[in-house]
Amino acid sequence: MNRTFQLHSPSPLVGTTLLVSRFVLLLALVLISCNLSACSSNKKRYEPGTLRMNLGSEPPSLDWHTTTDSNSYDVIANVMIGLTQYTQKLECKPSCASSWEILDGGKRYVFHLRDDIFWSDGKPVTAHDFEYAWRRLEDPATGGSYAFFLYDVENAQRINTGLTKDLSELGAHAIDDKTFEVRLKKPTGYFLYLTATCATFPMRKDVVEKHGNRWTEPENIVTNGPFLLDKWQHEYKIELAANQRFCDGKPALDRVKMFMVPEQSTAFALYENDELDYVDNRSFSTSDVHRYKDSPEYHSFPLLRGTYVGFNVTKPPFTDKRIRRAVAMAIDKSVFPKILRRGEVPSPAWIPQGLPGYSADSGLPYDVAKARSLLAEAGYPDGRGLPPISFLYPNREDSKLVVEALQAQLKESLNLRIELMNQEWKVYLATRKNDPPPLFRGSWNADFPDSETFMNLFTSQNGNNCTRWKNEEYDRLVAGAAGELDRVKRDRDYQRADTILCRDECPIVPMYVATQNVLLKPWLKGLLFNALDVQYFKTVRIGETNKSVSGNEQPNRATPCVTREGPVSRKSDGGSQ
Amino acid sequence: MIAFIIKRILTAIPVLLVIASLTFIMVRIVPGGPFDEERSLPPEIVANLRAKYHLDEPVHKQYFLYLGRLVRGDLGVSYKYVNRTVTDIIIDAFPVSLQLGLAGLIIAVLVGVPLGTVAAVNRGTWLDFTAMFASTAGVSLPTFVIGALLIFVFGIWLRILPVGLWESPVHLILPAITLAFGPTAFLARLTRASVLEILEKDWVRTARSKGLTENATIIKHVVRNALVPVVTVLGPLTAILITGSFIVEFVYAIPGMGRFFITAVINRDYDLIMGTTLLFAIILITTNTIVDIIYKLLDPRMEVEA
Repeated sequence: MNRTFQLHSPSPLVGTTLLVSRFVLLLALVLISCNLSACSSNKKRYEPGTLRMNLGSEPPSLDWHTTTDSNSYDVIANVMIGLTQYTQKLECKPSCASSWEILDGGKRYVFHLRDDIFWSDGKPVTAHDFEYAWRRLEDPATGGSYAFFLYDVENAQRINTGLTKDLSELGAHAIDDKTFEVRLKKPTGYFLYLTATCATFPMRKDVVEKHGNRWTEPENIVTNGPFLLDKWQHEYKIELAANQRFCDGKPALDRVKMFMVPEQSTAFALYENDELDYVDNRSFSTSDVHRYKDSPEYHSFPLLRGTYVGFNVTKPPFTDKRIRRAVAMAIDKSVFPKILRRGEVPSPAWIPQGLPGYSADSGLPYDVAKARSLLAEAGYPDGRGLPPISFLYPNREDSKLVVEALQAQLKESLNLRIELMNQEWKVYLATRKNDPPPLFRGSWNADFPDSETFMNLFTSQNGNNCTRWKNEEYDRLVAGAAGELDRVKRDRDYQRADTILCRDECPIVPMYVATQNVLLKPWLKGLLFNALDVQYFKTVRIGETNKSVSGNEQPNRATPCVTREGPVSRKSDGGSQ
Repeated sequence: MIAFIIKRILTAIPVLLVIASLTFIMVRIVPGGPFDEERSLPPEIVANLRAKYHLDEPVHKQYFLYLGRLVRGDLGVSYKYVNRTVTDIIIDAFPVSLQLGLAGLIIAVLVGVPLGTVAAVNRGTWLDFTAMFASTAGVSLPTFVIGALLIFVFGIWLRILPVGLWESPVHLILPAITLAFGPTAFLARLTRASVLEILEKDWVRTARSKGLTENATIIKHVVRNALVPVVTVLGPLTAILITGSFIVEFVYAIPGMGRFFITAVINRDYDLIMGTTLLFAIILITTNTIVDIIYKLLDPRMEVEA
């Protein structure tokens, strides 16, 4: 009995638990007191000379021939420079090339390279480095995703598709160490932009061949940009160090720390705890945007990234363009900024504002009465007789909000029954490509700041044209505009093509242009953004809030986010077409 | 014992082969491929990429190519992380998950087992109710809720611990606690049930009648025997913890293995899916073998058999 009593009485283990509890309490008190003492001291909120930002995820590769994603480009664009570079107005200005000549009616380009540009190992950058890089990009063995960028160069497509094995047939040659010649199949109005994109940057043959697949690791890579790749802890952090020998002078920053924090709320907490100096769309949610929208730290600007609703024109009922036009006119695009809450800009047309051929009149207006009348004219008054229509979208939150809004709008205005098809990302892509349903959601990022990148998407032969729509006049106009060097005629052709696309034939309905939203700490100055969403750090300074460190007019505010039409912080020194 | 281990290794080979084959088939059945993106690449570019990774070969040929490489210890390359092999990725990420997982495991065992024992010994008292309430909450609350809660309290509100990243040992504290929360609660409940069962056994009564102190009886006779079911679950639990948790690593931005179990599938990164699956299988087999050995140490009457 006595033993039984002991079993239910407080045992020595209880005493141990109490001891543990006391220890935990003591530890908590010590930690809190440490924190209080830290708060009372003047703790630095930033690391002088160091920019801390969030990439969001691991760059799949830093080989600029095989990667295609924006995270990789955020790194590459800061460690490398090409023949030309973008100004804040997204025009091309000299970079490795000090000048260039456009000859033979736009079919031949001759670039003259600067003498003072060196690789990080001290060797000069030569035309042979460009020749090797461009040949490697087209070599099928490289598997370069953006090899098609150079398909306008003589023999590029033949080499890339294996029709010829001789890489020296590529129409890009080093005439001597400092002269690089490019021959095109036909005049190409946007060619110069390609020389500012990462895929066309120079590359060192000896380094690639020596290190094979490991050539992009920090201990092997050689670069020619304002920063050097110093450390790469995969899936965690990349550190860049200032290039002391950079041709335009050492950047103001000593170091850039690029973390890879995938979870938005964690990245945002790091920003609020002053452990990141700025964050963008990758790092904060819509509710955070809403919370900060009146803060001087918050900036928003449109990107060259369009979202659209596509019709499969081979599937009823959208074989009839009157029904496509009716749907387009029944959508009130002004709701998208309200439901997505990131400052999206409704698109009247497919060509975004600021690019050649843009016109707000190219698209159809919001007109429910006219939409109903078109539907009745097509034989479906008030939507009667129409079967349910499948609408495909990927399992992403913003897409869900958009398609649900569209479903409600089309029900209310045209009495259409829309059945939403939600699919996992890669399944969605496969479905959209192989057997698109009557309605699907799509979006498109610009590769370079020209209408060609948007308009070519809906040409008959483009593999990304999932609408199955083919129009000879549209194809002819887009092909003509791409090769047209006369700016006025080019604008006119693109505008006419955009009208066919968005008003006459309507295989798509442009929805909105996405925006970049950023929060900048007051001590960060000179961060340059552009509508292509490539972020350059060479002008960034981290300093006291009461000092103007980059010529900003408002020292307590960070550099305004610059749009194509926005303020220009650096003078463009020409070179654009 | 050595014969047992050798036997286990030999039986693991066909098991791994079956796992590899099933995974190989399943990843290729799923719609979508590694090179499908919002902007599909021109067919000639896709053809080049498929040729580069031998994806243009018939599936059976791909299968034998993969097995051939596997036998040579080559786990293949990542299609997403272009210049990295699967082995590179595992070498970089696994040690991180191992550290975090071991920290979580130690917390789970050191807190869960005593908590369950105390609850059982003090059955029906406030200590029992408190411990079981805490363990029910621990089992029920999702990891991301616990992670967010801990980040808010200790990282944002009190500002005494980092909210994320992997910079110093201090950065291990919150993720390890988050990771350990569920397993701790589970072990506490399991230990309590097991201890309660053992307390009713005749040999416990005998030990007490021999005049052993209550402390000695519980530690030497009750806990030791009650640990057998706990050790059983420790095998798979260890495998799960040390191969990384997607949520914990995601929430705290830790560069471990856990994220690859999800992202490799999302990206249709075939070789990486195979590599992570096989790694998990190998670790599971290893930890289960260790558990069998521990059985023998806990109870010499048990026979270890493959």
